[in-house]
Amino acid sequence: MSSVTSTTTDQDALLRAGIDRSLRHPVMFFLTSGAAWLAVSILLGVIASAKTHHPSFLAECAWFTYGRVFPAHMNALIYGWGMQAAFAVIIWLMARLSRKECSAPGTILAAGHVWNLGVALGVMGILGGHGTGMPWMEFPAFAWPVLLISYFAILIWSFIQFRVRPEGHVYISQWYLLGAMIWFPWIFITANTLLHCLPGHPVMGAGINAWFRSALLFLFFVPVAIGTAYYLSPKVTGRPVFSYSLAKLGFWSLAVIAPWAGMQKLAGAPVPYFLPYVGAAATALLFIPTCSAAVNNLRTMMAGPDTLASSPSLRFTAAGLVGLIVLAISAVLLNLPGSTLPVTQFTLSGYGFDILAIYGVFSLIMFGATYFIVPRVTRREWLSRRLIKMHFLFSVYGTIFVAVVALFGGLLQGAGQETWQNAWSNYARPYAVTITLTWGLILFSNVFFFIHLTLMWLRLGRRSSHPTLLVSQHHTSSPHGEEGDIDNAGPGHAHAH
Amino acid sequence: MSLPNQKPDLEDSINVTEAHGRVVREAAACAREKRIAENGSEPISLWLIVACGLVVATAGGVLGSVGSGLSYGTMFREGYVRTPPPGGGEEGPKPKEALAAYSAKGAKIYSAKCNGCHGSDAKGDGANFPSLVGSKWVLGETERFAMVILNGLQGPTSSGKTYGAGVMPAQGAGLTPEDLAGIMTYVRNNFGNAKGDVITAEMAKAAMEASDKRAKAGQPVTGTELDADHLKNLPGEPLDPKQLVDPISLAPVTAAKP
Repeated sequence: MSSVTSTTTDQDALLRAGIDRSLRHPVMFFLTSGAAWLAVSILLGVIASAKTHHPSFLAECAWFTYGRVFPAHMNALIYGWGMQAAFAVIIWLMARLSRKECSAPGTILAAGHVWNLGVALGVMGILGGHGTGMPWMEFPAFAWPVLLISYFAILIWSFIQFRVRPEGHVYISQWYLLGAMIWFPWIFITANTLLHCLPGHPVMGAGINAWFRSALLFLFFVPVAIGTAYYLSPKVTGRPVFSYSLAKLGFWSLAVIAPWAGMQKLAGAPVPYFLPYVGAAATALLFIPTCSAAVNNLRTMMAGPDTLASSPSLRFTAAGLVGLIVLAISAVLLNLPGSTLPVTQFTLSGYGFDILAIYGVFSLIMFGATYFIVPRVTRREWLSRRLIKMHFLFSVYGTIFVAVVALFGGLLQGAGQETWQNAWSNYARPYAVTITLTWGLILFSNVFFFIHLTLMWLRLGRRSSHPTLLVSQHHTSSPHGEEGDIDNAGPGHAHAH
Repeated sequence: MSLPNQKPDLEDSINVTEAHGRVVREAAACAREKRIAENGSEPISLWLIVACGLVVATAGGVLGSVGSGLSYGTMFREGYVRTPPPGGGEEGPKPKEALAAYSAKGAKIYSAKCNGCHGSDAKGDGANFPSLVGSKWVLGETERFAMVILNGLQGPTSSGKTYGAGVMPAQGAGLTPEDLAGIMTYVRNNFGNAKGDVITAEMAKAAMEASDKRAKAGQPVTGTELDADHLKNLPGEPLDPKQLVDPISLAPVTAAKP
């Protein structure tokens, strides 16, 4: 290797390290507080789910009635964890892909605190009985302008970085992330102004709300997840993205189809009756963008099976992509108006679909990105392979249980509800008990994730030049080999000042 | 950045070492990263195309099942209300005994129309509003009672006393025959009254026809008119109080269902 190439590589590495350093505080803030909200949300989810089969649990306390705990659970999950994890990943990825250092980490950090304050007050407002009753928009009406303004203060810098990027080429991840960054304000402003400021007919309000929920999943969380996967899978394996044309198909079909989905939740309600059918057809068609993105990324990863086995980032991402395929299939199977669409209304399966999308797809890929980003921005390596493995195990199996039990248990529950002389609880109970137990396991793993992340944030990670991999590949026989060489070491040690 | 064949001078070569040291110390994670390769150009797999085609066909079927409903005015599909499952047919409410069913209907009307003056115990107040308990006109001939309810009353009551201003306003407006039958049955069998008979809707209908045919239709009746024209029972047989009827329509039901 000539010294010139080595210099360019080194300079390139220093540029990337500089970008990472500029974003250290905002990224770590969003990830850590997001992980804390995730733990809070799952705790609330355990309580809410326990109340569906043991209604007397915590029944004396008004703050913990089901009608408050369940919305608090969903809103903490979406705005506390989901949006903040997305912020961390978007600002880091957009800076890296535009090859620009972040110029306003202080502003982002301040706006991040405002966002957290808005979420905290909103969740307390819900628990205090001031929820609006509109699913996923239950925060009292003061919260949404606060969230919207801090959203712009956090992400405007990524737009600017994209605008002034040095190269003309736009990478696949940037399509998805830019799309999500533009679509979120569109759906958030539309739904909130129509429902808070210009309230019309309440039945149509329910329709707008259903559209908002679907759009939040498929125009924000799913594209952020796919965009991140399109970065991680070629980056970690070093292989080219399997098919560029498949990527284009996936992106444009998502952009065209996803805005139509959502109204199928109103099947049978007195809205113009083609709306639920358009929503059902569009949701079924979402199979195309989600499945092609998942297949494209999985094929990219399978080009390097060894990396897939050892890298925590890839393993989480691969699990999220498998979740995306399950989501794609269930989007078709749950929206057949002749059979499944009527019976899945008012059952657990809607919850299962949402949790599959938010936790089983989006969150798993965000965990993958976290395991990739944090060592770079903190310049420390993850402390414990075992903690990562445990997080992976509980998250993946937990998601399978929650989502699949709720999705398909919901179908059986819906069929059971048709024989209306029997008690509803007979059909829902076993699935509800399973969901409670599984959320408990996921909570267990995420508490450790939060602790691990906090230690990294405090820069208590391993000082080493060797990554923490799930499968140890080198020098397993010698504890004093390269792996044990922990003090800032490596070949360049002698040159250090 | 720098051309591949550019020869580094001495200063740069020193910097190479220094820079490499910095990379190892500060950017180890970045230095070991792989570069993102050029995008691949594999063709889209055949099975994926087939799967997407199947999904498009399914979604087309979903949209097609709207039929001619692609209009903003259509709210429901024909026959959307599902047929009841076997064994869960539309049985309607359970039949009740006639006295209970008529009284339940009458109690609602009483609380809406009569309660204000005659009171919830039907005892009136002794000065302005007479008591209905044990009243001869309430418990006596049914047509006379019906005329008072339908047209109101002017002057003295059955006891000969004139209460207050001496006028009871007409209550007939908006009453259906079932309502009138219910209120009459209710008052004659409650508050200590125990006549034990049920005025049917047919009898109440006859009373309304008689009321329309009065010479002074629209004005309150007086005791004199009642004695002259209406001192008789309404045509038709009172219902057996034990007879089972539908609690909504008050129509007699032949046999109790299991």
